[in-house]
Amino acid sequence: MLVEINVNGEPKSADVPPETTLLKMLREDLGLTGAKLGCDVGDCGTCTVIVDGVSVNSCLMMAARANGSNVTTIEGLANANELHPLQEKFEEHGALQCGFCGPGMLISAKSLLDRNPEPTVFEVRDALAGNLCRCTGYTKIIEAVMDAGREMRSGQSGA
Amino acid sequence: MATRTKDIRTDTEELLTEAKAPSQQPLTVPTDKPVAYPLDLPEGEARLRTPAVGQRASRPDGRLHGLGQTQYIDDITFPHMLHAKILRSEYPHAKILSIDTSEAEKMPGVLATLTGDEIPENSFGPTFQDQPVLAYPIVRHRGDGVAAVAAVTEQQATDALEKIKVEYEPLPHVFDPLEALEDDSPKVHGDTNIYTSKTIKKGDVEKALKESEHVFHRQFRTQMVEHVPLEPHASIASWDGNGRVTLWTSLGRITLGREDLARTLKMPQSKIRLIGTVVGGNFGGKNEITNEPILALLSKKAARPVKSVFTRGDEFISSTIRHPFTMDYTTGVDSDGKILARKIRLVLDGGAYCSWTGTTIGKGSILAPGPYNIDNILVEAFAVYTNKTTTGAMRGFGAPQVCFAYESQMDDIADALGIDPLEIRLRNGFSENSLSPTSQTLQSVALKESLTQAAERFGWKEWQE
Amino acid sequence: MRALDYIVPESAAAAVALLNEHGETACPLAGGTDLVVDLKHSPGNVQVLVDVSGLEEFHGIEETERGLRIGSMVTYGEIMENPICIEKIPEVVAASHTVGAVQTRNLGTIGGNLVTCVPSADSAPALMVLDAEVTVTGTDGDRCMPIEDFFVGPRKTILEPHELLADIWIPKKMLGKPSSFSKFGLRKGQALALVNVAAALELDKGKILEPRIALGAVAPTPIRALKAEAFLAGKKPTAELIDEAAQIAVTETKPIDDFRASANYRRQLIRRLTQRVLTRSLEIAAER
Repeated sequence: MLVEINVNGEPKSADVPPETTLLKMLREDLGLTGAKLGCDVGDCGTCTVIVDGVSVNSCLMMAARANGSNVTTIEGLANANELHPLQEKFEEHGALQCGFCGPGMLISAKSLLDRNPEPTVFEVRDALAGNLCRCTGYTKIIEAVMDAGREMRSGQSGA
Repeated sequence: MATRTKDIRTDTEELLTEAKAPSQQPLTVPTDKPVAYPLDLPEGEARLRTPAVGQRASRPDGRLHGLGQTQYIDDITFPHMLHAKILRSEYPHAKILSIDTSEAEKMPGVLATLTGDEIPENSFGPTFQDQPVLAYPIVRHRGDGVAAVAAVTEQQATDALEKIKVEYEPLPHVFDPLEALEDDSPKVHGDTNIYTSKTIKKGDVEKALKESEHVFHRQFRTQMVEHVPLEPHASIASWDGNGRVTLWTSLGRITLGREDLARTLKMPQSKIRLIGTVVGGNFGGKNEITNEPILALLSKKAARPVKSVFTRGDEFISSTIRHPFTMDYTTGVDSDGKILARKIRLVLDGGAYCSWTGTTIGKGSILAPGPYNIDNILVEAFAVYTNKTTTGAMRGFGAPQVCFAYESQMDDIADALGIDPLEIRLRNGFSENSLSPTSQTLQSVALKESLTQAAERFGWKEWQE
Repeated sequence: MRALDYIVPESAAAAVALLNEHGETACPLAGGTDLVVDLKHSPGNVQVLVDVSGLEEFHGIEETERGLRIGSMVTYGEIMENPICIEKIPEVVAASHTVGAVQTRNLGTIGGNLVTCVPSADSAPALMVLDAEVTVTGTDGDRCMPIEDFFVGPRKTILEPHELLADIWIPKKMLGKPSSFSKFGLRKGQALALVNVAAALELDKGKILEPRIALGAVAPTPIRALKAEAFLAGKKPTAELIDEAAQIAVTETKPIDDFRASANYRRQLIRRLTQRVLTRSLEIAAER
């Protein structure tokens, strides 16, 4: 079955068996290994990507359902010239250790800040509830998201 | 209970909201004086003056992590690579009467199968080589692999597993570690389930218990804990034309892994290359080989690279877990709550194979009495086999379990004697030059200072009122 | 996942026809947050997936003379962001917020959740106390029923294999009714309810009017606590009355012992949460 999606602004397609999940298609057919396979049942969030503006577990979405959609993966967060403020702040704060939760965490955080530019700590926790991390204890991740939010707001008002 | 003057939740919220990146925070180490070696400063100060301590550093891999460019094993593919799946045992303890992979071999996409009798040397382990690569003829826990299949796609490998016919003769099993201690319990290996033990003796514990004002006794149990690394165990095996095998693996201890591969494959180490890549969480669970010899052999048979990744289900039943401890603590104290004697029995649920139990029992035993000055100690620790998931290394190696026991009992004692829980610890705690339970002189001890400072910051006094 | 066929029907009628044609080997796919997991681990006989998640007929949130209509394929995320829902059925929004996590709610549909029909379905109690009705569509056309009649047992609804849940209606007179929802799980996110409860009521001259109490995860399906409701009707609320009603509610439930909690603990939760939602509903009613 031919599935055509727009990934990170570029049209991509692959011929995949109908039962292929979006995660599998991204990783194996399109070579975008940023989204990870952690549990395959939608609990850990390492497979999180944005489809048509909302964050989803790509391991639970059939690739065929995403046909015609706009998909944003971690590979699309930074542009050619600079890192996304979230990526900068994650790096500055040392928010990631093994890094496996990183792509999913960053995508969920981006999804939050796109909708709610000034979240409270509670709202950050709520937004990241579907992304598990076994290494860090979440503290620096939350700090980095709060800091990135500040950065993004000051960037807009500073001009 | 009175409300605390410091509300820890709003404090945390504030801290998280205001936190700045470390690079933006000032250094706290005095840098006005140059560092000169050798450092002839008093012990504590020396630590503050070395070039590294107190410096801000960025993780070198932070950039790639944020970009999603870090390559974990499952992100690596090779041309013509196959996928392997492992068939796990149906019983916690059984004899395999027969395995028939002939139907599986005919399934679409299947290029190789493997069973335990094909492993050149089917045993490995860091202390005792009691663990098989693929169990044969005895399976000792539900997570034991009994056969493996390599196929072009993962689904083909999974489908082929269903066609493997295994005939089992179930054997009596033992799950409870206390039951496993008994002579008449089903045996997992050999004549006894006790496979390692440790004794620590100091002073005369029975005499001191008799002379104690109060004696407290309790049994504490801790549970199985699975590491749940976000990245499941993963490996890829590939051979070159010169008979050398390379494994890309999430394994942490690659030199030990290479030894185990040399042993199980009956190959010289010089022909084995292990590449341990960036790992997505280990915590001790990736300290020993799992599938690597299986993949090496499948790869040899199929003449193609073979990859295998644990499912999350495999992670729970087949990868190692933390040892459950059953701990009997008998503690004698005087009327001021000063500990005079401590007698401890530890029973480690050692799972089906020994793995890192040797280290765990050692650490657990030495740390069992707690960071307290006790003149009379007896620790008797036993590790027993059970027909459950192999218990292995997990951060702490026995320390967290005993800590739960001795700290809980400390609170019991404080409560019974009407002594402040902080105070009783200050009365008993280690200081500089205290002796450990095995009579090691301890230095750089800041236990009481830490407790006192922490108590101040938490608002311990206010909370008590 | 095992080989499957995937079909996107052009209309609800086409979907029903496909399900009728393929019988047990076909399965309707909504958000997939339950079904896709099942297909990976125990696919059973399923060979064909009929993706109904995009069908226009099952989308939309609108208020009409009849009341508030929510299409079955509306996701929990969409419900949480919809201004009409926030204003008119705030406790259904609150219940939606407790489902899974953000990603689950962006895929998971209210209809799919009700059709999966686990006793702990979070939106069920909040809908039940608002006298919600559901529309089922099949080869014989549409039929409408109170939501309680939709649930038959754990993972079993009244749906025939060819039928689909089309939409959920909250009757006009129930919109904006003082209501409260509470859920207790072992975590604050991605948690199954040990107990979830909702209440709705009005106050008329200081007396309780038309009380509704619904409980989930404490019986084979979500249930109404009819005896507790009957006890409260027409009475002046006091703390003691509320507690007595809560205790009556406990007697109407059959909580189980499992690895998450004992039946005894669940009974204590039922009592506390029922008190809580009744108290909160009364506060809202009193403000009016």
